[in-house]
Amino acid sequence: MRAKFANTLHGERAVALVVFALLAFLPGVIGGYPIYILPQYLLFGALAMSLGLLWGWVGIVSFGQAAFFAIGAYGMGLVMQAGLGGWGGYLGIVCGVLAGASLAAIAGYFLFTAGVKSTYFVLVTLALSIIVEQLAVSQSGITGGYNGLFVDRMALALGPLGNIPLTGDVASYYAVLVVVPILYFGLKALTQSSFGKILVGIRENEDRMTALGYNVSLYKSAAFMLSGALAGIAGALYATHAGFVSPSLAGVTFSTEVVVWVAIGGRLSLLGALAGGVIVSALSNYLSSISPQYWQLALGFIFILVIMFSRDGIAGAFAAMANGISRWSRKERQLSEPYRKDSRG
Amino acid sequence: MAELLTTQGLTKRFRGLVANENIDFRIDVGAVRCVIGPNGAGKTTFLSMLSGHQAPSAGCITYDGRDITNLSVVERARIGIGRKFQTPTVFDNLTVYENIELSVLRVEPDSGARERKIDMVLNAVRLADLRSVPARELSHGQRQWLEVGLLLGNESRLLLLDEPTAGMTNEETAATGRLIRSLADEHGLTIIIIEHDIHFIRDLRSPVTVLHLGKILMEGSFEDVASDSTVRSVYLGTDI
Repeated sequence: MRAKFANTLHGERAVALVVFALLAFLPGVIGGYPIYILPQYLLFGALAMSLGLLWGWVGIVSFGQAAFFAIGAYGMGLVMQAGLGGWGGYLGIVCGVLAGASLAAIAGYFLFTAGVKSTYFVLVTLALSIIVEQLAVSQSGITGGYNGLFVDRMALALGPLGNIPLTGDVASYYAVLVVVPILYFGLKALTQSSFGKILVGIRENEDRMTALGYNVSLYKSAAFMLSGALAGIAGALYATHAGFVSPSLAGVTFSTEVVVWVAIGGRLSLLGALAGGVIVSALSNYLSSISPQYWQLALGFIFILVIMFSRDGIAGAFAAMANGISRWSRKERQLSEPYRKDSRG
Repeated sequence: MAELLTTQGLTKRFRGLVANENIDFRIDVGAVRCVIGPNGAGKTTFLSMLSGHQAPSAGCITYDGRDITNLSVVERARIGIGRKFQTPTVFDNLTVYENIELSVLRVEPDSGARERKIDMVLNAVRLADLRSVPARELSHGQRQWLEVGLLLGNESRLLLLDEPTAGMTNEETAATGRLIRSLADEHGLTIIIIEHDIHFIRDLRSPVTVLHLGKILMEGSFEDVASDSTVRSVYLGTDI
């Protein structure tokens, strides 16, 4: 039997590697709009992973991911406006990460040490998104209010070798295609480390973990901070790629969309969350272009259908299928070889 | 022998109800003690105050020469106080191996040593053959053992066992008795047990503390307690 810690499809990493490799060839095949827009979907995928970590591994649902994403995006926007030249982009990323991480760390620390859980946590994080949105609207001297902020594309400063501007869509595409896999594989390794196991323990039985001597609220805060950092970097890169940041990035609608992506993609798998973010945001974009009135309704139906058939989303359906096949093949084998003791789990 | 844990005047009031009153208790390193008493005597409340799940209304608790009255559950767990709850509290969806792994993880950073320790614990609680079975598929008795295994895994020195033999067959109960004896005699663990199973308590051959209406009624060997007329009267109708 498989270890439940992994709580993913066996070979998920291999699948991810193949997908990323295929994406690397894409600009050779097609150009134009897809190459422009795909990096933004991938960054939405990274945002979805930031929620996947929380939902899948710690068992907490946050509607605050949009807040962290937006604050990361504004961080990048403001740094880019400061006119720091080639290094501005790096600084923007650092600012975005720090902004997302600190907001999450502060909110998380107070919420978790106060024992705020489940529904109440959802409500507070939803409020967090609304607060960030309102701040973005009201502090128009800094944020540009409803008009938003225009953000230049960053450049890759290489010191003495000069700068590589990412103004071209293909260069930008590859930059994002380097960052998102790093985030995915890094996060994947983290979930399989001792830290990831402890998070699963907390998800499964918080009281038991406390009685075993684990400082549960500290671990939850750390996971939340990490999730905020991830959402922050996704937001920062999104800002410089899309070229525009507005208060709606922190809004209730966007917050809810992130939750829907992860629910559809599968909260128990990082790749599921990533794919959910990419596919559902792409689908939303497509549906809204063909039917501006009804696309949200259509998306709602898709959401309900997926959850009806697989509570753990698309990745959950795949995992159940793979599980079924391996159980079936084991049964076949057991029938042919009467009994063989499995010594190791 | 050195004392590991003492309580002085330990009292717990729930509004009007006095669950524990003025309990002076002492247990030495490596000792086994059974706490018995009729329903509502305050046994679990007493254990909860020792583990930190309930704050005492008055009195103090000393562990290993240190006042721990105000320490949290986590802090107490980290200095070696482990509790097995009345209803087995394990990680139902994780395998037996993963359950123990989570416990060992906190005290053993090295993965090789960790694996050896997990194996050792699995053998001690007789679950080595079931290592890859999810905890929810275990029998009630096996879940009790798994929870005891969790306490061994994180190097608890004082085990607080709330009804460890509930739901066990006679054979399992006897094995639990042997396990508890070996943990105390060979590994020097100190164990406080709440139990109802009179045969189990008798076979453990350990001192017994009788609680009644939140107070210590008497302490002594099983034979002394069983033959005491006051104890017999509070257990009226119960075969002791």
